[in-house]
Order: sequence, then structure tokens, then C-alpha cells
Amino acid sequence: MKKVILPLFYLAIASVAANAQKVYATKAGQIKFNASSPIEKIEAVNNQVDSKFVDKSGQIVFSALIKSFKFENQLMEDHFNENYLESSKIPKAEFRGFISNIASIDFTKDGKYSVTVEGTLNLHGVPQKVSTSGTLEIVGGKPVIIGVFKVKIKDYGITGLYIGDKIASEAEISVNCKYE
Amino acid sequence: MKRKILGSALTLVGLLAAGVWYYVFVYSKTHHRNVADEKGLFVQAGQIVKDYENDEAGANKKYLNKAIEIQGLILKKEKDQAGNTTITLKSGDPMANIFCTLKPGEASKLHGNQMLIKGICTGYLSDVVLNDAVVLKSE
Repeated sequence: MKKVILPLFYLAIASVAANAQKVYATKAGQIKFNASSPIEKIEAVNNQVDSKFVDKSGQIVFSALIKSFKFENQLMEDHFNENYLESSKIPKAEFRGFISNIASIDFTKDGKYSVTVEGTLNLHGVPQKVSTSGTLEIVGGKPVIIGVFKVKIKDYGITGLYIGDKIASEAEISVNCKYE
Repeated sequence: MKRKILGSALTLVGLLAAGVWYYVFVYSKTHHRNVADEKGLFVQAGQIVKDYENDEAGANKKYLNKAIEIQGLILKKEKDQAGNTTITLKSGDPMANIFCTLKPGEASKLHGNQMLIKGICTGYLSDVVLNDAVVLKSE
């Protein structure tokens, strides 16, 4: 009897291990915002980005607090929060989507992979579909996701006198997250 | 007489313009909001997390963008991707804690587990988030 049960037991454990999905997470990811125009440098960095993704399904979430974006110029930071992103009313931005080619990634081996991420970016309370390509690199068994995409500021209901003039009409969003 | 008035009006406008230019391009670049100079609103680590879990919009009205003093036990000390020291304060709730990014130079003031810190509350993600924090007590 034991002879039958034991291999079955091992088989059960092996199948659980094979099907187990892992959630990779960080609370200190980085997102840079750049809406510079030829006239003015408008750059901010947020080092408190919360992100998670699932290795099997490719499901991915990024959440960022608008007030965590730091500018070199305090006045610019105040205007960004008060006049443009209205962060007291809408304190968060969020992206939810999928890494569409997650199956092609071998998480057990260090290496660099091109990935496509598709989903919905909710910025300034306005949801918009976003699709972008980036890289997922496995470094010492830990994944790092890097990507850059552009958003049209007006698509998110953000208005202001200087958009398209001192402020670029398209902002560049750079994501760099190291997961555990 | 008219010329005198015009002259002084022009000088005044010139001075004003110089002042605005200085405030926007020089002062604002070099002077940042410093939480150390602000009076903090005191709250226990467990309480602020509970407030955010129960009513995020209400908690934002109370804490968002304000200097908050939080007392609690340190759970984790790490570095973020830009090299800033971050600490996690224990709330007692396993689902959410307090994630604080310290100002540069503050990490050397960390001596013990019992903490009193002051930082600017930027909102709530998986944890309540504080930025630009200074260490008031660590024993």
C-alpha cells in the first residue's frame, strides 16, 4: 500500500509546485514623468510606486500617489498637484493590465526579454487604454521591468493654460521597477 | 512731476518683475518644503492605518499632504531604487503598514526599534505612504 501511496504523494507535491503561481511585488518602484518643452524642463520622479504581477497569468498592477512625485522646483511641484493633476481630489494613478507574452519568460534563468503590456491607465480619474512594449529582465532570479510610453495629457481631462506651450502636450512616462 | 511719477512707477514694475522672476526661477528651485520646520499632527501607527482602511477619502482629508508625526515599531529598513532609506512601521494589522521614505542624512539617526518620525503623508496604496520623513526619536 505504502508503495502506491508514496509515489502518488510525490506526484501531488510536484504538480502543486509546477502549478503554483508567484506574485512578484515592490513598494519602492520608480516612475519618472517628463513633460518638458523646448522652453522649460518639467521632470518629476516617484520612488514609492506600488506594483505587483503574477508570473503565470501576466496580470500586472502599478499604483502611484501623485503627491509622491518630486520636482526639482517646488513651485512646479505645487502647480502640478494643484492646477493640473488636482491630487487633493484624485490622489492616485493606477495601471491595470496584462503582460501579453508572459509565457515566453523563463523566470528560473537570468536574461532579458521583450514584453508587451496592455491595459488601462487611470490618471486624473480618467481611464484610457494603453499598450506599450518594454523589457523584463531577470537579474539574480529577480525580475526588473523597464518601459517608456507617452500619454496625451488632454486625453485625461487635464487642462491648463500652458499645455502644448511651456508644457509638452504629450508626457513621457518611464517605468523602472525591481521586484522581489 | 509727471516724469517723476512715471519713473518711480517703472522702477516699481521693474522691481516687481525681478521679484517674481527670482521667486519662480531661483527661490523655488533651491527652497523646498521642509517637514522639519512644520508642526506635525501626531498619530499612532495603528490609528492612521485604521483610519485609511475604514474611510480612505475621510482619512485623506485629515492626513493628505500634511506633516504627520507617527509613533510605532520599525518592521523593515530598506533602500529604494534611488538609494533613499525607507522604513516600514508596524501597524498591528498584517494587511497594511506605514511605508516611509526618509530624507537624505536621516538614516544615521536610526538607533532602535521604537520610532517617532515626521513626514508628509502622500496617501494610501498597500500601505499608508509618507515621504521626506525626518527621525524625531529612535530608541
